[in-house]
Amino acid sequence: MSERAKRIHAIKFAAIISVVCCLLITGASTGLKSFQQANKTLDRQKNILRAAGIVTLDAKPSREQIQSLFQEKIHEVEVDATGNFMEAGQGKGLSLYLYQEGQTLKAYVIPVESRGLWGKIKGYMALEADGETVIGFTVYSHSETPGLGGEIEKAWFQKNFIGKKIFNDANEFVSVSIAKGGVAALPEASRANHVDGISGATLTGKYLTQGLRENLEQYEAVSVRLRQGQGIKAGQMLDGKEQDKEK
Amino acid sequence: MSDGNLTLKETFLRGIWKENPVAYQVLGICSALAVTVQMKNAIVMGLALTVVTGMSNFIISLLRKKIPSTIRIIVELTVIASLVIVIDQLLQAFLYDISKQLSVFVGLIITNCIVLGRAEAFALANPPLPALLDGLGNGLGYGLILVAVAFVRELLGAGKFVGISVIPQAWMDAGYAHMGLMVLAPGAFFIIGLLVWLKNSLPGASPEEKTGQ
Repeated sequence: MSERAKRIHAIKFAAIISVVCCLLITGASTGLKSFQQANKTLDRQKNILRAAGIVTLDAKPSREQIQSLFQEKIHEVEVDATGNFMEAGQGKGLSLYLYQEGQTLKAYVIPVESRGLWGKIKGYMALEADGETVIGFTVYSHSETPGLGGEIEKAWFQKNFIGKKIFNDANEFVSVSIAKGGVAALPEASRANHVDGISGATLTGKYLTQGLRENLEQYEAVSVRLRQGQGIKAGQMLDGKEQDKEK
Repeated sequence: MSDGNLTLKETFLRGIWKENPVAYQVLGICSALAVTVQMKNAIVMGLALTVVTGMSNFIISLLRKKIPSTIRIIVELTVIASLVIVIDQLLQAFLYDISKQLSVFVGLIITNCIVLGRAEAFALANPPLPALLDGLGNGLGYGLILVAVAFVRELLGAGKFVGISVIPQAWMDAGYAHMGLMVLAPGAFFIIGLLVWLKNSLPGASPEEKTGQ
């Protein structure tokens, strides 16, 4: 083969290989999309259940258990800037999940989307119906370094959030922060608003602290109303009566 | 490396034991440190790599007379990358939890030296069937070391065997504590080092009397 023929052969070969590989990848990606989507939805539902404390952080519920528990206990609503509830799916407000046992509101689960060191951190934080106590925090998607910032997805880190407060003693909103080092080193008064940090992941902690604050702030109206004892009956909220009364 | 007079069986077994990619060729160490905290992850990773090395070796061997030598590395990588992406998609669709735990390491199979190493060293010079067996053998050899390391790490680090607790409660009450070092990457370094030493000091296990120069 001459030099020229060799070069043409190389280009032809590269083109054919590229097209074949493209088709293969596209086929796999589109063909499996529905399965992957179902897995992702299920994973998010599992994380909501975990955050709300309906299943423990270590539990491995089956697909059916997750679906039935989610259907039974969790209601998705939207909430506007003043803390009024609307039916979900209108796209006018922020998304919020209510955990109800019968007609009583047990908890509300806030979707958390925070900046991380390498990418977005997505998770859920559940607060008790008193509007200030954290029931749980979970992460379902992140791109932090495995073993360092990646520890945010582990149960040991998430367990530390249980029982923390988003308000301080003076009744001001302070969110929950990730401490540098252990909580034990902090002054007594602020321990309830901090969780243990992760060594080697100072920046992940810093960004997640910021992200939690920003996300919780958006839902402040709901928390304040709950703390003042208004509109606890979730059933009313869902019917939209609460909304009318406020107006 | 490409002796013409090896039988198929030898081609297959060589990668598993004598010329084990981790213990003898010292390839693929990065992922061997990362995914060996639990047996379950190690098994899936070992199988995923076996499938990729086997198939990439087979495909590249089929194309070996056609691949222009000027762009052969790019072609090899294209084939490997496509296979890895397909496997990653399959894991996401059917083994979602494991795929989440393996996170970036499935994608990093692309850069695993074992895959490209076998394609370059063996598949380009041998017919498809031996190439397939060589790939499978090397993949399984890698998997074998991974599982061995994971067995020790999971047992000592978390007191579990494939996720099942095996340390009796009585021991825990008597003051037995899990070895935290094993859960961290340095623990894997020690175990891999010890395994390599152990394997190469067994009689007849090493292709040369002395490893290294």
